Amino acid sequence: MKKIEEETRRLKQISCPSGLSLANLKAELRAIWECNIKEWKIELAYPINFTRQCVEPLIFLLPILVYGLVLLGGSRFSESLMRLVGTGDIVTFTFTGYIIMGFIGTAVWAMGFSIRKEQWYGTLESIYVTPTSRLSLVLGMALHSVVHQSLGTLFEVGVIYAVFGLVLRIEGILPALAIFALMMFALGGFGIFISSLALIFKEGWIISEGFHSVLMILSPVAYPLTVLPTIAQQASTVFPTAPALVGMRSFLIENYTPEILGNVFLHLLVLDAAWILFGILIFYLTDSYVRKTGTLGKY
Amino acid sequence: MEIHVFLRQVEDQLLVYNRDNDVYSIQTINLTKVFKKRKHKGIFGFLKKKAEKETSESSKDVTVALDHVNSEIRSGELFGLLGPNGAGKTTLVKCLSTILIPDEGTAIVNGFDIRKQTSLVRASLGLVVGGERTLYWKLTARDNLMYFASLYKMPRREAKDRVDELLALMNLSDRADERLEDYSTGMRQKIAVARALLHDPPILLLDEPTLGLDPTFSRQIRNQIRELCKKEGRTILLATHYMKEADELCDRVAIINDGKIAAIDTPERLKAMVKENELIEVTCHNPPHDTENYLRPLCPDVEIITLIRGDEAKGMPSRIKLIGGNAEKHVGTVVDALRKTNAQITSVNISMPTLEDAFIKITGAKLAEGGAT
Amino acid sequence: MIKASLDESPLRANFFVVWSEVVKNLKFLMAYPVIFVFWTIFPFFWFLTFIFQGQAIVGGLQSASFAEIAGTPEYIPFIILGAILNGYVLTSLYGVGESIRREAYQGTLDYLLSSPCNKAFILIGKAVSESISSTVYAVIQLIVCIVFFGIELTLGVIMPIILILILMILGLYGIALMLAALSLQFKQAHDLAHTLEYVFYLFSPVRYPVQALPFWAQIIGRFLPLTYALIAVRSLVLLKQNFPAIYEQIFLLFVIDVLAIFLGFYLFNWMEKRTKKSGSISQF
Repeated sequence: MKKIEEETRRLKQISCPSGLSLANLKAELRAIWECNIKEWKIELAYPINFTRQCVEPLIFLLPILVYGLVLLGGSRFSESLMRLVGTGDIVTFTFTGYIIMGFIGTAVWAMGFSIRKEQWYGTLESIYVTPTSRLSLVLGMALHSVVHQSLGTLFEVGVIYAVFGLVLRIEGILPALAIFALMMFALGGFGIFISSLALIFKEGWIISEGFHSVLMILSPVAYPLTVLPTIAQQASTVFPTAPALVGMRSFLIENYTPEILGNVFLHLLVLDAAWILFGILIFYLTDSYVRKTGTLGKY
Repeated sequence: MEIHVFLRQVEDQLLVYNRDNDVYSIQTINLTKVFKKRKHKGIFGFLKKKAEKETSESSKDVTVALDHVNSEIRSGELFGLLGPNGAGKTTLVKCLSTILIPDEGTAIVNGFDIRKQTSLVRASLGLVVGGERTLYWKLTARDNLMYFASLYKMPRREAKDRVDELLALMNLSDRADERLEDYSTGMRQKIAVARALLHDPPILLLDEPTLGLDPTFSRQIRNQIRELCKKEGRTILLATHYMKEADELCDRVAIINDGKIAAIDTPERLKAMVKENELIEVTCHNPPHDTENYLRPLCPDVEIITLIRGDEAKGMPSRIKLIGGNAEKHVGTVVDALRKTNAQITSVNISMPTLEDAFIKITGAKLAEGGAT
Repeated sequence: MIKASLDESPLRANFFVVWSEVVKNLKFLMAYPVIFVFWTIFPFFWFLTFIFQGQAIVGGLQSASFAEIAGTPEYIPFIILGAILNGYVLTSLYGVGESIRREAYQGTLDYLLSSPCNKAFILIGKAVSESISSTVYAVIQLIVCIVFFGIELTLGVIMPIILILILMILGLYGIALMLAALSLQFKQAHDLAHTLEYVFYLFSPVRYPVQALPFWAQIIGRFLPLTYALIAVRSLVLLKQNFPAIYEQIFLLFVIDVLAIFLGFYLFNWMEKRTKKSGSISQF
């Protein structure tokens, strides 16, 4: 035993938590937090960009609302919408859908582009040689984006309430938040999947923008799912945004009749498990692929 | 090349011994890496004829970056990897640091297999690469180091003390809270070295660490490298194409070209492969067109005749080297032959061989240019 | 002896600069087929959400309330034409407006600026190549919309539409030139481009008639070339009006073009001199 100790001492021992230990979990969580802080510091170093990103969600929301009001001649009540989902208030309906827009962006841009962003900074290889898991880096970027979007959402709520007025059920907020949290887990898995695709394809922004566009159509942000073609309605069940919006509106909007019956919570739990497992699997496969082909640092 | 005697598994580390019972910090075993070249077909690529596509898929479309590389680096050694651009130095460094997965073979770094124990390999080494963008320019030096300390899983308090210590070591304590975008290139490289030392790794991989630096900073970095090895006992692998750097710093040097290691030995022994009378260097302006073929018939027993072109616009002469055989006896012939052309000879040296000469003799290629010529 | 630049007539030399820039940028585009496919296809996704929203709110393909403001009850062709022409805004702002920053990032800006040619013609070349690619995307999108969304286009409106597009492009690139000028000094060109995009998006009649906006917002819209282009194109295609009916829009577009191009060139030259003096021109 003494001889073994002597021999191993010649190779300098390293102290680094690894595997499934509590110390390693703490270290990974700390890395996630520090990555989030790092992103905040970099973002705040570009104050114009930061201000613009705070205002941007409102800029894209207003035309959606104005367009809807123009179609109804200035009224916010739609008989057609009433027939479809039990509520005719297009402002409240649209806004409760629009809330998740920023968080779709979290998945496809913040997470989806996270590794790409490090490539752009030039720091990707420096990060890859550390013992921290790459997933922690993606989650760190996600944390930053979720906080960012949450602050933006609160701002939007204030502005829209002041300008248009919103009619929401206060007692529905907590269950809606629970559904929102379940949606975010599945979106997180989806975001991990996107980040791995962006690593392979040189024009990674096209992947993110493409999925963002598809998700925008398949999510009932400004219209109920029933107006979509049948095949699109079926496709929407694969993504967490559709059941989440249906579930959230059920709790937040009076008289809202969900066009999709079923257990939203169960549906979201299944999607959570599926997307998280799928995302992590694809992530590690592509990680192995780019390390094999040597395209990691290339941008 | 020394062959390892045996491997021994001790807990989760592999101990690799040589004949003299020294432990190896790094060992590569048949390490091979092949890259396939991607064809950019463009928007009309689908119109390419099938026959053209078939003929284009030939051996020219693959690059063998590492070709069954076997090497060992002792614990506490400053080991140089010397070769031109495209020789395979960076590929080897990337394989050892687990950024790249080799196609064949493996390597043992600090007792851990690069294929199976990647986290532990990464925790055992620090990487410094040449080039500007490897840090976050919009963060301060301190923020950069604290962030990377968290990625090396260091506890916060320990990280804070270590960052202060390293900033003092690099003489950058008074500028620690300035953004890196306001630093010079040399200062940023110092922070990159500090980053590699954060977790006190036993092994450092340095890939052209002085690339793009001015002589002052280059000297500072080299001094630091020497101290890290000799005083602190770290194992250092230094990949460089600067012959002088390898000669000055390294205990042993591996000469690499076209993915193969051509020789490994101390700088003195490598230089001794080129005997004194085997090396003639003629410095001249306006050397003749196709100098090598012009002089070859006149010196049939000389192994290598090579022209290293100087920058005439800046007034820097070219150098003609004759290596091997009995080069010394051909001095007069070569001078007379050059005088018949427009060449203006400035000096003729029967010189002490340098590592560059050893490189040229061993590989037949020039160190300044990439690949064999 | 510097022979080449003395022999070449200035007009021919400048044309060659424009031509070279066009060829270079189009070669870049052809080397990235994915980008070509993206800009052709994805604008459809962006207006489909508005079509579905309209169907949910109105319960059909036409809206009488909409017709009171827009002059036509068919909101789907209204949206589609807005999206297609808005594509020119995106490519002009992000293509030309950021071109200077891209050159700086690639390290080629110093070489461009130290070349003896007039830099404005390099920018003209970039603008022309962006216009060509935008027009290719727009034509493909229009053909698809004619087939699948029932937009009717008669031969008689094609020439007037081409004139409107040319005038709109000139105005857009005048604005993009101002953006490029500002990006020489302020490195965050992407944010400036985004801000301008928002202005177009909110105040131009891309998704709704400009009359739907408050009075102060309508005033802002009146300064944008896209506003007049959209009003003119929709008058011809949707309202079936004849060419004389859009003389006002043509005239106002022309005025905006002259102002934008003049201001753009002036600002660019002034900023170039200023940033060369400060030495910050090739930093990024």
